[in-house]
Amino acid sequence: MKLGAATILSSSLIIEKLAAIENEKRDPLSFKKTSFGQNLDLNTFDQASKYNNFYEFSLKKNEPAKLAHTLKTDPWSIKISGEVENPFTVSLDEIKNSYPLEERIYRFRCVEAWAIVLPWIGFPLSYILKKAKPNSKAKYVKFTTLYDPKQFPDQSKGVFGNIPYPYVEGLRIDEAMNELTLLGVGMYGKSLPKQNGAPIRLVVPWKYGFKSIKSIVSIELVEKEPQNTWKAINPREYGFYANVNPNVDHPRWSQARERKLGSFFKQRTLMFNGYEKEVAGMYKNMDLRKFI
Amino acid sequence: MKKKILLFLVLLLPFANMLLHLQSAIDPIKYIYIQTGTTAISLLIVALLLPWLKRVVNLLRYRRMVGLFVFFYAFLHFLNFFVLDAELSISFVIKQTLDKPFIYLGMISFSILTFMAVTSKKSIFRRFAKWHQLVYGAIVLVTIHASMSQKVLSIVEYFYIFIMIFFIARKLKERFGFRFFKRYFSTLVPF
Ligand code: HEM
Repeated sequence: MKLGAATILSSSLIIEKLAAIENEKRDPLSFKKTSFGQNLDLNTFDQASKYNNFYEFSLKKNEPAKLAHTLKTDPWSIKISGEVENPFTVSLDEIKNSYPLEERIYRFRCVEAWAIVLPWIGFPLSYILKKAKPNSKAKYVKFTTLYDPKQFPDQSKGVFGNIPYPYVEGLRIDEAMNELTLLGVGMYGKSLPKQNGAPIRLVVPWKYGFKSIKSIVSIELVEKEPQNTWKAINPREYGFYANVNPNVDHPRWSQARERKLGSFFKQRTLMFNGYEKEVAGMYKNMDLRKFI
Repeated sequence: MKKKILLFLVLLLPFANMLLHLQSAIDPIKYIYIQTGTTAISLLIVALLLPWLKRVVNLLRYRRMVGLFVFFYAFLHFLNFFVLDAELSISFVIKQTLDKPFIYLGMISFSILTFMAVTSKKSIFRRFAKWHQLVYGAIVLVTIHASMSQKVLSIVEYFYIFIMIFFIARKLKERFGFRFFKRYFSTLVPF
C-alpha cells in the first residue's frame, strides 16, 4: 500500500517534470480573430515551439525548448522610459487587461534563410507608445531583454561567451508605430511558450527574426539610433534595418529563397516578406543595399 | 576481414541515424548540412589522428577506409547543396561559389577530398602519395568553413581550431625539423 502511494507520487513527479520540459502550462487568452494572413498555410505549434533561436538559453535551436523552464515570467513588468512625457512601469497582467488582444497570422523569416507562418496574439506596439506620449526628440525605440544569468544560462558563459548581453534591439519611430508592429503575448491560442520569448516580445513581420526581440523588460524612446546586438557583433553581416530582402544576399548565403519549416523544398522569399504594400513607403529614399 | 566489415558498419551509423530522423526534422536541409558536415570533419580528424596514435594502437591500415567515408559524407553534404539547396541550378552553384568565401572554401576542400578518394586506389596510390599531403590544406580550409558556418563561435569550433593547429604544428615540425619549428613557432605552441 505504502509502496503503491510512493510509486504514484514519483510517477506523478516525473509527469510534472516532463510537462515542464515538453510543454509548460500555457494560459488561455481571450482575443479576437482578424483577417491578417487568412490565406497563408500555417506551420504547426510543434515546429514553432521546438525550433528556436534564443541564444540566452543555447546556440542550438532544439535546446531552448528543453532549457526555458528556468525563466520566471510571473511576475513581470515592463518599464517605458526615455524621451516621453509620461514614463511608466506596467505589469504584464495590466497590459493584457488594458489592450484588446487580437490574433494575426504573419509570415516570419529568419536571417538564416528559414521561414515559418504562425498565429501571433498581441496588440499594436503603437498603443503603448501613445500612452507614453513620445516627445519631439523621440526618433527611435530601444528594446531590452531581461538580463539574469540565473535564468539565462548563456548569459554566464564567461570566456566562451561571444554575445554581449543584455540583448538590445531597436526600431525607427515610424516603424514602431506601423500598424503591423505588434507586442506579442501569445501564439496558437494561448500565452507564449517561454522558448518563444514569453511573456512579451516584439513581432515585426517584414524584418528578419532577430529584430523581434524576446522577453522584453524595457522600452526606451531615444534620439539616436540604438546599437542592436547583432549589428554590434558583426556589422558587415547584420544591420540595423534588417528588412527581409531577396535581392540583397547575406555575405555567406543567398536570401533569394527560403526553407519553410517542415519542407524539403525551398520557396521564393518576398520583398519585405510580403508586406511591401504596408511598409515600402517608409524606405522610399533609402539605398537598401547600404542600409542592410 | 571481419574487423573491416564491422568498421564499415560503424562508419555507416551516422548515415543510418540521419535517415531515421530525417522524416521528423523540422528544417530538413539544415539538418542534413549539420549531420553530414560534422560527421565529415570528425572523421577527417580521426583519420589524421591515426598516425599519432600508432604507438598506442596501430589502426593505420584502416586509414583508407576512414578517408573514403570522409569523402562519402562530404559528398552527401555537397549533394544537399546541389540538389536540395540549389535545386539543381548550376548557375546558382557557380554564382554562390564565386561570390562567397564560405562556399568556395567548402568547394576547395571538397575537391581535395575527391582527388584523394579517386587516387587512393592501391594500384595508382604510389604515384599520387605525395599529393596526399594536401589533406593538411583540407583540414585548414574545412576548419575555417565550419567556423564560418556559425553566427558566433562555440566550444565545438574552438575544439576544431585547436586540433587543426595541433596537426599543422606537428606536420611543420616533422617536415622542417625542430630548429625551424623552434625558431618560428615555439612561442605559439609550447611543445
Ligand atoms: C562541397 C562544398 C561545400 C559546400 C557548398 C558547403 C556548404 C555548407 C553549408 C551551406 C552549410 C550550412 C550553413 C548553414 O548553417 O546555413 C555548411 C555547414 C558545414 N559544413 Fe560545409 N560545405 C561544403 C564542404 C564541406 C566539407 C568538405 C566539410 C567537412 C569535411 C564541411 C563541413 C561543414 C560543417 C562542419 C558545417 C557546420 C554544420 C553545423 O552547423 O554544425 N563542408 N556547409
